[in-house]
Amino acid sequence: MEYRGIAASPGIAMGPPFCFRQLRFHVEKESAQSAPENVERWESARRDAVEELRKLVVQVDDDQRMIFEAHIDIAQDCEIDEMVRKQILEEGTSAEWAVQKAFGVFRDMLAEIEDPIFAERAADLDDVQRRILRFLGGAQQVRLDALPYPVVLVADDLLPSDTAMLDRKNVLGIVTQTGGMTSHSAILARSFGIPAVLGVPNAIAALENAAQIILDGTRGIVISGPSQDLLEQYRQAQCQAEAHAAAAKRYLRKPAALKDGRPMQVGLNIGGADYPKDCGQYDFVGLFRTEFLYMNSDHLPTEEEQFAAYRQVLQCAGDRTVTLRTLDIGGDKTLPYLKLPEEMNPFLGKRALRLCLEQEDLFQTQLCAALRASAYGNLRLMFPMVGSLEDIDRAKECVRRAMRTLERRGKACNGNIPLGIMIEIPAIAELAGQAAQEVDFASIGTNDLCQYLYAADRLNPDCTEYYQCFGPAFLRVLERIIQVFRAAGKEICVCGELAGDTRATALLAAMGLEKYSVNASQLPALKQEMASFTMDEAKELKQKVWKARTQAEILAQIEAFQDNHKEGVQEK
Amino acid sequence: MKTAETIVVNESGLHARPAVLFTRSAAQFTSDIRIRNMTTGSQEVNAKSTMRVLTLAMVKGTCIRLTAEGADEDEAIQTLIALVDSGLGE
Repeated sequence: MEYRGIAASPGIAMGPPFCFRQLRFHVEKESAQSAPENVERWESARRDAVEELRKLVVQVDDDQRMIFEAHIDIAQDCEIDEMVRKQILEEGTSAEWAVQKAFGVFRDMLAEIEDPIFAERAADLDDVQRRILRFLGGAQQVRLDALPYPVVLVADDLLPSDTAMLDRKNVLGIVTQTGGMTSHSAILARSFGIPAVLGVPNAIAALENAAQIILDGTRGIVISGPSQDLLEQYRQAQCQAEAHAAAAKRYLRKPAALKDGRPMQVGLNIGGADYPKDCGQYDFVGLFRTEFLYMNSDHLPTEEEQFAAYRQVLQCAGDRTVTLRTLDIGGDKTLPYLKLPEEMNPFLGKRALRLCLEQEDLFQTQLCAALRASAYGNLRLMFPMVGSLEDIDRAKECVRRAMRTLERRGKACNGNIPLGIMIEIPAIAELAGQAAQEVDFASIGTNDLCQYLYAADRLNPDCTEYYQCFGPAFLRVLERIIQVFRAAGKEICVCGELAGDTRATALLAAMGLEKYSVNASQLPALKQEMASFTMDEAKELKQKVWKARTQAEILAQIEAFQDNHKEGVQEK
Repeated sequence: MKTAETIVVNESGLHARPAVLFTRSAAQFTSDIRIRNMTTGSQEVNAKSTMRVLTLAMVKGTCIRLTAEGADEDEAIQTLIALVDSGLGE
């Protein structure tokens, strides 16, 4: 059986399950004891909890120390204390009941906060509450600091105090029923490099009796009772992944080049306030997504807020060009403070540039902010969801208008800022030759282009076989775009998922692509792949691939090609 | 009574770590100290309660208002504002 969850920490784990359930406390409202006695019990349980936490604090590492320092503060919180006492004294309830009620009030308040950083601190509250209830009731908890043998830990939920003393060498992987990407369990798993799949409904009941389970933290699946064949497949994948990661690291600081020395260019996709650190050697920022500014805010970000953010990214990028993609929102990505009409087909609806052209105030704010930032670095602008030459005309007109605004206001900007488009709608791919005359550069967004070309929703698991990013039709479209832009002397880049998929590296090079833009974590593996083949070899592969009829045949050709060239890498 | 406003500058805002630093510092003063999230227009809450401070969800860029009343109100405001401005150890 296969179960799906959130891919919270990458990697593969195989082993027997070890189930861990949180203690459940049955709390009675009534108490046989008097109110002063219950207050006394609360004080004593709270003291014991703080004492236990103080012992934990000195045993754990720095990262976890602060978590438990925070727990001490929660246990000693003056307002919680006041609420518990009041509840006991005024309503004569048990100490347990009062504790549950007071913690519940704060948990509800935290749950209302939209920022997950704050909302997930509810886990800390739960943890402290359980600790105090445990002292009130005198119960014993199963411990995770001495596991009998290497296991895949399957828990309903993991609290920081459960994992603080985790017997790390015996935990192969973690599965939980609750938790998201930013939960304690996820952060812990990633920081220890333990593969994890979180949020698997009923994981304990489903996996409890399995002799062996496979956890695939990269794809977010858990398999119980796998066949020998499947186990063997995963074992090989695990070995390969380990060898690959180790080898790829050596490429971190090397410039990108093919095996024959032909230089290539690799860029970074970024999309958050934090500019990635330690990326080693890369040539440009190929895709700066600006949605985070809008998503992490409770209002439309002002020109000043945007200007500051863009300028900061330009400073971090130094001399490198930074391609800023204007707001790509609408469709499935919505903003709570911006009312948009519901659409039948969001992916075919009024999203990205279409939305910006309609709500031009919003667009002008972003353009003014970006143009002002262009005075501080090597900035370029790129428009998403361009489908026609009119779209290009209208976007350019908006830029000119923003420039006039800035001129009136006496603000500096780069009047010759390069303008480019995302190629992700088949219609503009069809007109690539004409589009290339009207823009300075383009970048291919392979995810959307592929789903629009094949009319297959890439987020729908039932459509996977129809979404063919190695299909012959898609590869031909890609080649034509790349060659038409090259012939026009305009720069062309691939910034979609395909750029970071090392199965596509050689084919794209053979089509004439020189610029790949990927996520920071994919850079070393991409450069390693580039160094494994020569241009002649890549062209040979392309010839074979072009004769294939189906995606399956093409993938088989690529696999054979990659197997042949792996040794070349290891010799170095 | 003393009042002052400032902006939260550290990356993760007044959450776990920074919130603990903040409330522990506030707890050293005898004055009654209240805090308010001006950006969301929240109510005033007890600045010595970690839980209360957390529930204000003060992310980076939030404008906060501190009010202190008591014998050491001047020092309390000065110290706490300086602490927030210093980025709360981040």
